[in-house]
Amino acid sequence: MDWEGIFGNLSPASFFNFSFLGEYGKYLLQAIGYTLLLAVVSVLLAILPALLLAIMRLSKNKLVKGISGAYIALFRSTPLLVQLSIIYFGLFGAVRIPNNWQLFGFIPMSRFIPGVVALALNSSAYVAEIFRGGILAVDIGQTEAARSLGLPAWASMKLVVLPQAIKNVLPALANEIVTMVKESSICSTLGMAELMFAAKTVAGATYITLAPYTVAALIYFCINYPASKAIEAVERRMRRGDKR
Amino acid sequence: MVTNDELIRVVDVKKEYNHGEIKALNGCSLTVHKGEVVAMCGPSGSGKSTLLRCLNMLEVPTSGHIYFDGVDLADKNVDINLHRRKMGMVFQHFNLFPHKTVMQNITLAPVYLKLKTKEEARKKGEELLKRIGLSNKANEYPNMLSGGQKQRIAIVRALAMEPEVMLFDEPTSALDPEMVNEVLDLMRDLAKAGMTMVVVTHEMGFAREVADRVIFMDGGQILEENTPDLLFDSPQHPRLKDFLSKVL
Ligand SMILES: Nc1ncnc2c1ncn2[C@@H]1O[C@H](COP(=O)(O)OP(=O)(O)O)[C@@H](O)[C@H]1O
Ligand SMILES: [Mg+2]
Repeated sequence: MDWEGIFGNLSPASFFNFSFLGEYGKYLLQAIGYTLLLAVVSVLLAILPALLLAIMRLSKNKLVKGISGAYIALFRSTPLLVQLSIIYFGLFGAVRIPNNWQLFGFIPMSRFIPGVVALALNSSAYVAEIFRGGILAVDIGQTEAARSLGLPAWASMKLVVLPQAIKNVLPALANEIVTMVKESSICSTLGMAELMFAAKTVAGATYITLAPYTVAALIYFCINYPASKAIEAVERRMRRGDKR
Repeated sequence: MVTNDELIRVVDVKKEYNHGEIKALNGCSLTVHKGEVVAMCGPSGSGKSTLLRCLNMLEVPTSGHIYFDGVDLADKNVDINLHRRKMGMVFQHFNLFPHKTVMQNITLAPVYLKLKTKEEARKKGEELLKRIGLSNKANEYPNMLSGGQKQRIAIVRALAMEPEVMLFDEPTSALDPEMVNEVLDLMRDLAKAGMTMVVVTHEMGFAREVADRVIFMDGGQILEENTPDLLFDSPQHPRLKDFLSKVL
């Protein structure tokens, strides 16, 4: 197999035909902002529901535990694209958001909100499991000491267990943002002008089929790789700190 | 300083795990009077911790009753949190809160439960720390302390609730030998001051010196119960004789 056998009439240079950057650079930068905003906001929004789901999951009450378990199973066992479509066309087909609401002048709320809600609902299922692990990793003696002082169950959870659990799960939470930077590309299918959508748009407008996606890949990589490395370093340091 | 006033009465308490597969307590009965120091000893796995932890309902008995100040704690309608405030507990592994300073460890519960204002709790904390000579550690985090210091802080944290009884579960077992005495000294002081105490311990010298009564447990039962001198010097039950021959 030679080059043409695999890539047809694509030349190696067509991966790196960046002539569109001058005209579309600003558009791509906006798209990076859109992607980061989607990722960060959806994970931040996921934190509280995830905490609730995790605590419900650890409850002794079978019904409470079951509801949380069902939610987590549902969101982890169906594709994000399906969830996004159902939420976009179903939930936000019923709840209309005015078309003229804009965030930072370039993000129409009528698309951003459904996207963020779908990503957050999905993410909360994963973050719930992170929290559950974090809570279980706190020594049971901490709860016993708190309860033996007369603190009610929820007070000992709030004052003693959660602060320790959250510190332990911060790296995993940061990793969830990295995951969401990638996963949010799925929002391009519903016309949200994040990075993947921008690449598609540029490809269509310039008839440069490949290079816009190369640029998108490079950008995703340059955000996520250093971020994961930084998280790893922080994690190592935290582990060393714990051993003192 | 033993009185005739009954503080805790345990009546035929049984505790099973794994749906009856493991019988940790096989019908234990025990009375603790105000001002009394009761030491519990016995081989590992004999049920000492389980019995102690039943006293403040960290373990819920499978059957039986536990009366504290005349209230049956095993009754489902009892708010156990109110009673736990009056029962301090000290654990083998200290269980200080690592994300809180020494002072915050001491003041957390009294302030949160509105038993004291922040200032009152601080003052009480400073007083207690002074008593154990650790005033300079008030703003340190537990990971900066030695084992002996941690355990003394844990005792002080329980004392800050002004409990009516202190429960100790092998408080010196996790300590380096050179730190055992600082903890035992503090416990001795508490006993002298009239605190009611139930102490699970392998420190036979301490039990003999400080306890008013010693209880020997094996196989989830209380096999013998006597004053320290009689229990250690003329043991009756063969299992106790066997146990003493190994530990003394
Ligand atoms: N949570 C538990 N689940 C199952 N078995 C337990 C549990 N806690 C204690 N046991 C069992 O109950 C028995 C008594 O334990 P314990 O009270 O800890 O003994 P001791 O403190 O005298 O060493 C042991 O056989 C122990 O394995
Ligand atoms: Mg034990």
